[in-house]
Amino acid sequence: MNDRPLWRSLAFVTAIALLATACGPSSTTPPASGSAAASASAAGPVQKGGRIIEGSFSDIKTMDPILVSDTSSDYVTSKIYDSLIQADPKTGEPKPRMATFDQSKDGLTYTFTINDKANWSDGKPVIGDDYLTAKKLVAKSKLTVRKSNFKDIKGWQDYVDGKANTISGIQIDKADPKKFTVTLTKVSCDAIFQISSYVMPTQVFGKYATDTSKDEIDKAPENSAPPVADGPFKFSQWKQGDQVVLDRNDTYWNGAPNVDQYVFKVVADSTVLAAQLKTGEINFGAIEPKDLADVQAQEGLRVTKVPQLGYTYIGWKTDSTTVPALGDKRVRQALAYGLNMKDVIQAVLFGEGQAHVTHFVPVQWAYPDPSTLNQYPYDTQKAESLLQQAGYKKNANGIYEKDGKPISFTIHTNQGNKTRETLAQVASEQYKKIGVDAKVSLDQFQAMVDKLSAGDPSMDAWIIGWSLGTSVDPYAIWDSTQIPDPAKKTTGFDFGGYKNADVDKAIDEGRNPSNGDCSIAARKKQYETFSKILNDDQPYNFGFVPNSLYVTPKGLQNFDPGAFSQTYNINQWWIKK
Amino acid sequence: MRRFVIRRLLYTIPTLIGVSLITFLISHLAPGDPVRLYTFGDPNARPEDIEAVRHALGLDLPLPLQYVDWASQAVRGDFGQSILYHQSATMLILARVPNSLQLAIAALVLQLLIGVPLGVVAALRRGSVVDQAIRVFSTVFHAVPSFWFGLILIVVFAVQLRWLPSQGMLTIGKDDWDILDRLRHLVMPAFVLSLAGIASYARIMRTETLEVINQDYIRTARAKGLLEPTVIAVHAVRNALIPMVTALGGILAFLISGALVIEQVFTWPGIGQLTYQSVVGKDYPVVMAGVMISSLLLVISYLLRDVVYVLVDPRVKTG
Repeated sequence: MNDRPLWRSLAFVTAIALLATACGPSSTTPPASGSAAASASAAGPVQKGGRIIEGSFSDIKTMDPILVSDTSSDYVTSKIYDSLIQADPKTGEPKPRMATFDQSKDGLTYTFTINDKANWSDGKPVIGDDYLTAKKLVAKSKLTVRKSNFKDIKGWQDYVDGKANTISGIQIDKADPKKFTVTLTKVSCDAIFQISSYVMPTQVFGKYATDTSKDEIDKAPENSAPPVADGPFKFSQWKQGDQVVLDRNDTYWNGAPNVDQYVFKVVADSTVLAAQLKTGEINFGAIEPKDLADVQAQEGLRVTKVPQLGYTYIGWKTDSTTVPALGDKRVRQALAYGLNMKDVIQAVLFGEGQAHVTHFVPVQWAYPDPSTLNQYPYDTQKAESLLQQAGYKKNANGIYEKDGKPISFTIHTNQGNKTRETLAQVASEQYKKIGVDAKVSLDQFQAMVDKLSAGDPSMDAWIIGWSLGTSVDPYAIWDSTQIPDPAKKTTGFDFGGYKNADVDKAIDEGRNPSNGDCSIAARKKQYETFSKILNDDQPYNFGFVPNSLYVTPKGLQNFDPGAFSQTYNINQWWIKK
Repeated sequence: MRRFVIRRLLYTIPTLIGVSLITFLISHLAPGDPVRLYTFGDPNARPEDIEAVRHALGLDLPLPLQYVDWASQAVRGDFGQSILYHQSATMLILARVPNSLQLAIAALVLQLLIGVPLGVVAALRRGSVVDQAIRVFSTVFHAVPSFWFGLILIVVFAVQLRWLPSQGMLTIGKDDWDILDRLRHLVMPAFVLSLAGIASYARIMRTETLEVINQDYIRTARAKGLLEPTVIAVHAVRNALIPMVTALGGILAFLISGALVIEQVFTWPGIGQLTYQSVVGKDYPVVMAGVMISSLLLVISYLLRDVVYVLVDPRVKTG
């Protein structure tokens, strides 16, 4: 990505920011105290003070958890508002954080108990009422995109519709204000992440969640200047377009941070971000592979590599009417064998990534044993023989065809994203070698989003990426109900029109098991089935999983990022002088 | 005079309506929907959530109706809420006006301080190597893409030499009113922003000085026995400057809105940066507010310029 013009790189950055929205508010929630003590002793006694200055390409938009819908805002907000439950930073399994939780035998009722030490920065305790307030605010808001997260809570819809004054499924213990139960109308295995998320201070936001409140929460000034915090930092200042400054929260229940401040600083692009790490203007940030060698050569900087919670892929329109070949599994398998992903990873990521052959990524607990998957090693002969098996013959131009229709399609990707542009170019060249004509079209990102979400038939093939959240449930991407239908004007993320009854069944059993068994072991079984079918069906060429490259000064102690959260233990970080 | 001003003010109304219509159409007809964009790839935002928010924002209404809704609020000075920031679009823009102004004024000062002397020197040394050099400089810097030049400056002065900060307008932890710190942040963006202006000022100034220098009153001044520097500074340059002053009004407005690319490169949190991000994110209310406020500034500065014309030159008829 070294030579792209700046406006393109900016568009790319924005696109990434928009794309990376994939995680809901509960996704980057930082987990509780880890193995801090051990490494602290190795580096000597903890030194207090200093500040973490993190570089980002995009500014935050809001600090109200219920309105957050972009990565930057989510990231900063999660430092101010702590979450009840966390995804284990390394595996994504649900773990207690500010609260412990318990599930009833029938799987329908969750009992939460908030930590005794959990207080707001104004001294008031964090209590069950604050949970209820947060949910009421979601119901009142007209601009939140989180309403359906809570639709399985009993009495939710009645409250949203104004038929009830409270949400009957949320009951606060009369004897212990820190204890409350949430009752669902049906068993849902990922519900714990969906229903827990943040609590909000009733003393501040309660006035927007009264019986007579309308959508005042959407315009509340506290959204851009939160007055109290229950997270490791509290809000100090937001200079829009430039920086957000958070101060240490001395009353943080999990132990006040060692550093004085956390600053979230906006920088123009990845080149500038790398430069600022070198000059020390920022001391935390994720660089791109092209800057890796340069940064590694810097004394005093350390790079920590973490495989990402997401992948970049080439999607196939499996229900295409114009390119029927893409509906044939053998053709799609040929397209997997016919592209040397190792070359691509070397070319676009400088080796910082790994080839990918199914939906779940290695950091997720649902990831199957890779030896059970076909890895589709680069093999042009196999690719061609698969095309022949599918009844295709080479025509005069060297392109395989059947019934006079050559295998010819266009791969769309967003202009300005060098990684995807290069993947498209390499794919086009290599597919030619196996007798497949793949053209490349560089589209405007906004237009691509419109066409993909609406199921536009012109999108034969496309390259984008998925950022996966804490919830492993692949329903939104792979369930056949999520196929967008231009005729009915419905939208969805199953852009390629992929439909497989066994996949639908495995997804359903993984989220709402008929026997009510939500254990990791039982769900893992379903997801193994799911992964194997996708691996065989190849509705995407699953592309690659890039590494995140986090850069910090060598003196920063206790930095131990996971794919699910990099800052879960930020209160334990300290800077050795 | 009053009738002139009133009439000119009335003229601005169709201008602004036209600008608003064109901007509205371009931004809405270009592909992309703000809510679908910011929720794209977010499996927790279900289609029904997205449609509910689009409905709440009125994005599902027919376009003419959306325009009428917007216009009826806009005439009352309300440009609506930002779709991305959930804050008043007007307030978002106004908060950035001081930042853009600082950059614009600094660039303007640089343009005058550098461009004017260059033009005068080129005129006085017409045909010399100096003149040629200045002409080449003007052409080159007029043509150099500012984002590229900005990045070069960052690499040299921020990364290699480490003399200047590369981004933003304030060192983290420093006070807002630390003037020295602010100036250090201003140097590079202001210089890059001023380049095109320096080049054109130098050229205008050269032409004007050449014209003035052959006038009778210059000969008279010399004949009086005045020293050459006095002749040039007091008589020639002062008169050559007059046509340039009239250009200032428009240029200031241009500097405020035209700093878009430079604000991106240096992460200068001005109107340009906000407008750019709003265009990319399809944040219609902010795009509209940004364009309307910039247009208003431009129209007012032209009006002022015309009023000044009338005041200084009685030959311009107001009737």
